[in-house]
Amino acid sequence: MRNCLVVDLDRCSGCDSCIAACKLENNVDLGVCYNRVHAVGPVGTFPDIEQYWLPLQCQQCENPGCIEVCPTGASYRDEETGVVLVNSEECIGCESCLAGCPYNVRTLNPNTNVVEKCTLCFQRHEDESWEPACVHNCCCGARYFGDLDDPDSPAAKAVAAAGEENCHHLADEHGLAPATVYILSAKTATWQDDPVTTDRFVK
Amino acid sequence: MRRKVEDMAETTLTRRSFVKASALAGAAAAFGASLSGCIQEAPEQQGQDGGAEEGLVRMKTSCHGCIQMCPAIAYLQDGVVVKLEGDPDAPVSRGSLCIKGLNQLHTMYSPRRILHPLRRAGERGENKWEVISWDEAVEEAATHICDAIDKYGPYAFFASVGGGGSYSFMEAMTLPMAFGSPTVFEPGCAQCYLPRWSLSKLFYGGNDQSIADNAVQEIFRTGDDNKAEVVVLWGAQPSVSQTAESGRGMAELRAKGVKTIVVDPNFSPDAVKADVWLPVRPATDTGLLLCWFRYIFENKLYDEEFTKYWTNLPFLIDPDTKLPVKAQELFPDFKQSTPENTPAYVCYDLKTNAVAPFEFSAPADAAVDPEIFWQGEFNGKAYKTAGQIYREEAEPWTLERTAENCWLEADKIEEAVRLYAEAGVAGICNGVASDMTESASQVPLGCMGLDAVMGYINKPGCTMTQYGAAGAPPTKRPVTYNNGFDGMFSDMYGIGAVVGMSDAENEERSKKLGEENPQQELANQLLIDRLGMKDHKGLYAWCHSHIPTVRQAIATGEPYKPRVWFDMSGNKLAMLGNAKSWYDVFPEIDYIIGQYPMLTSFHVEAADLVFPVREWLEEPMVNMTQLNTQWLQNECVHIGETVSHSIPAAQVVAKCREKMGGELPGLVPGYIGNATEEEVKASVAETLHAPSWDELVADTDRYVPYVTPEEDYFHYNQHETVVDDGLPAGFGTESRKVEVYCQILLKLARTGYPFCYPKPQEACEDYSPICAYIEPAESPLADEEYPFVLTSGRVPYFHHGTMRHAALSRELFPTAEIRINPRSAAELGIEHMDWVKVSSRRGEVHARAYLTEGVNPRTVWMERFWNPECYDESQANPTAGWRECNVNVLTKNDAPFNEVYGSYTNRGFTVRIEKSERPANVWVEPEEFAPFLPSDEMKAEARTEDVF
Repeated sequence: MRNCLVVDLDRCSGCDSCIAACKLENNVDLGVCYNRVHAVGPVGTFPDIEQYWLPLQCQQCENPGCIEVCPTGASYRDEETGVVLVNSEECIGCESCLAGCPYNVRTLNPNTNVVEKCTLCFQRHEDESWEPACVHNCCCGARYFGDLDDPDSPAAKAVAAAGEENCHHLADEHGLAPATVYILSAKTATWQDDPVTTDRFVK
Repeated sequence: MRRKVEDMAETTLTRRSFVKASALAGAAAAFGASLSGCIQEAPEQQGQDGGAEEGLVRMKTSCHGCIQMCPAIAYLQDGVVVKLEGDPDAPVSRGSLCIKGLNQLHTMYSPRRILHPLRRAGERGENKWEVISWDEAVEEAATHICDAIDKYGPYAFFASVGGGGSYSFMEAMTLPMAFGSPTVFEPGCAQCYLPRWSLSKLFYGGNDQSIADNAVQEIFRTGDDNKAEVVVLWGAQPSVSQTAESGRGMAELRAKGVKTIVVDPNFSPDAVKADVWLPVRPATDTGLLLCWFRYIFENKLYDEEFTKYWTNLPFLIDPDTKLPVKAQELFPDFKQSTPENTPAYVCYDLKTNAVAPFEFSAPADAAVDPEIFWQGEFNGKAYKTAGQIYREEAEPWTLERTAENCWLEADKIEEAVRLYAEAGVAGICNGVASDMTESASQVPLGCMGLDAVMGYINKPGCTMTQYGAAGAPPTKRPVTYNNGFDGMFSDMYGIGAVVGMSDAENEERSKKLGEENPQQELANQLLIDRLGMKDHKGLYAWCHSHIPTVRQAIATGEPYKPRVWFDMSGNKLAMLGNAKSWYDVFPEIDYIIGQYPMLTSFHVEAADLVFPVREWLEEPMVNMTQLNTQWLQNECVHIGETVSHSIPAAQVVAKCREKMGGELPGLVPGYIGNATEEEVKASVAETLHAPSWDELVADTDRYVPYVTPEEDYFHYNQHETVVDDGLPAGFGTESRKVEVYCQILLKLARTGYPFCYPKPQEACEDYSPICAYIEPAESPLADEEYPFVLTSGRVPYFHHGTMRHAALSRELFPTAEIRINPRSAAELGIEHMDWVKVSSRRGEVHARAYLTEGVNPRTVWMERFWNPECYDESQANPTAGWRECNVNVLTKNDAPFNEVYGSYTNRGFTVRIEKSERPANVWVEPEEFAPFLPSDEMKAEARTEDVF
């Protein structure tokens, strides 16, 4: 079972609504983000440029580095759904997992001394139709959620429709096998394995 | 981890009683449950649709975070709204809800909200207030208005409102008229949408091309009904401005393979996704438009039949009057076979190779084959066709010259114009950009003119289509009403002429209406006396005054002095061009009334009295349509003594009437706006075809959305429909054709026709009837002191001045930014996210530099901004938050204005940039915005009864 997000970057316009939807749904504190949207580029020199947006959140790796390095077992995979989660009761805020994750999608909440990250809105997982808030509200219809191993899931269907050449994963130097799929066709922009982003976050 | 609402306050004060608080410094923090002055009810759980879901009450509503009002679902727990999401049943937004809509959860319960009427307790600018009762507040406002009118006459009163998406548009327009004053304005209007909206009525009597104002609907049709092939976004960024609706619509269009062309100096998200991006030099769009005309004319890419028979381009123009020659002028014996309301003009006939009368008819029935481009002599006088005049205007605008002048690449221009002109169907969509320049009338004339010569009108898949009731198949010769919003107020607030009626018909109509309503003379006089109307008569279309002329009148008292101001929207200091010039005249204004859900810089600096109004989760309303569906903005909850937006003025008007002995000095019926919540709700229920408000909210799923059957909503080719005079309907213009040469603008300049009628307004210089090039007055081509050209636009986090107190918007977009090309920044020693000072000839502000290749090295781009944190109670030296980062400190509100509409220059002026420091009081770090988060006190405010 590979529950994860699939994000269609041909559609994403970088509006950040997914971030707000996430923060409101999960009561995420100021300064903490479960997902961020990075502008990749613009690549090139004005006016011959191209750009895409890369929403980044927990990639739901098949071999999660965060679980491997967590000294307390607080980072774990839910057996029933396969979702990688953090047990706040067991997290000691040591930030080992931040080093174990190359994607910079975990944040230590300074208010609680607990590491937080995207849970795919796990509080909704028993709903009849489990759909993370970012997916529901996405202003571009760019986000899909579901089990990639279930060909009938919206996520798997989106991947199948996009075609292999347009489906990308984040660079995986450490063999973590991130599950999240990014759809980007060359018509929009060239996928960057090592993206240079323009962000207003300077931290 | 959702916060629980505890200890619901139990006070049971009588309706509209009040708790008086003495001089509250930094008022906002002091208003909590303890000051609540209303009967408090148990939170309503009953009567809502959807039933309980996780113990939540689900309510259908519509967002009001911008003008498009996407359908949304609110979830309430114990009477508190705890969750919002998009409504997946909405046909265009499809469940999307953008950051502005989502953040209403915070603004609704913001500690910045005001819940009771406030009277200024210190000096203007000190931000000291006392809470007063509604009775006191209404009495006080009415007393000031009546005293001023008594002492100085009705013209002492004036009103204002906010731009698209604000609530009180009709209310503000009619409020001064109720008192017999002609003065009202809003910072948008001439600078936002009026020029495009109004010109489409004058140009062809139909819908405009604004994708930013819900006018463009056809291209968002769903499934196989969508026939769009090519969409041109000319100065619009729907993915940013209306992210969840037309932004979502654009995402769907691109996904289905529709080609897009984007004309925008900034690499907007829509530009990022475009097939061709034309980063035009700000405010030089007229040059690019003329280049497209030239290319299309030269390469014969236009729709020849449509241009010949459905536009006025083949008409001979009299060189003396600049008006099309009527057949009878050149052929005295000519007897037209068409009715008097359908004049015959003159063309050069290719069948006979002679100048000939050109009667209105279906193309197949035409006696002539008119030449579009012709010049020659007739009876010893030289004539040109309107088409020839246009071609000559466009002639200098070769691809190469345009590329050089407009900072573009010739091959990209050619690629774009070919994509547009060679499509089966295409359409231009525009936004506010051109309205904010001197070429506010010339750009829409060009955009509509291109679609017209291409024949992209009234066809499936194009922009200029007519839908809904106004698009129903015509049975009579179409006419266009003009005075007041779409003629809605014609008979009440000035008769005006009806375009498409003959002179005799208009005279008869005006005589009859004048006899029926003796007040017409006063209405006509108000039109004549309105500030700025002599020069900018296009403003009549929305009954608005010319803003710089109003400011001048306040400053000088000439020709009369506006003294008592009722503003019905938000932060005027962040919205009005050259804000400091307004701040400087505040001392000249005797009394200033405001209304808003919070205190803004304007209220801090200027207001003497502020009425608290509702947030969108509290105010009943009907949304803009999404295609053929119409949705409810529900009263999900409401707290404090807040009221719907029409109510404060209605109550004040009623009180003034009482004080003046039962009669107001203005026009009857006067103020158009509901006076009680019951009236507000009744009108909403009626629009949604529900028998009553109670029945509407008891069974929302039954009444919402109200769906017009598709076959009754979408119609095409109306102009070809044969009507009762046996002719094809044509269009609602004088010539019954699309007036690409917008002849009526000449009459407008000379007399105010069709608006100021029957008594004319004084003449001014003629307006250009076609797109003509205008080099911006402050041009980067000749400005060594201020070397960059600044333009602006929205970011997805805010609509107009809203949401600056929404912590999650500010966390993501903390403060003003200026987009600068890295090459230019390097020359100035500026790095990404450095603070810079931006100076214009009006003033200086600060912003952080956002370095991007997405702008030309000589262009910079800003969003407007203001900073409510500057007067947070935690500030040691509070300021009103409008001077630090507000682009409108820089904008230019002096001449030259757009000739027709008086638009001033918010975009396309020159600035200088240098490195600086973060201004005092401005927050940027996420944690700093904690004081903006919803407070437990606000969430504990119980649901209240209606005040009125």
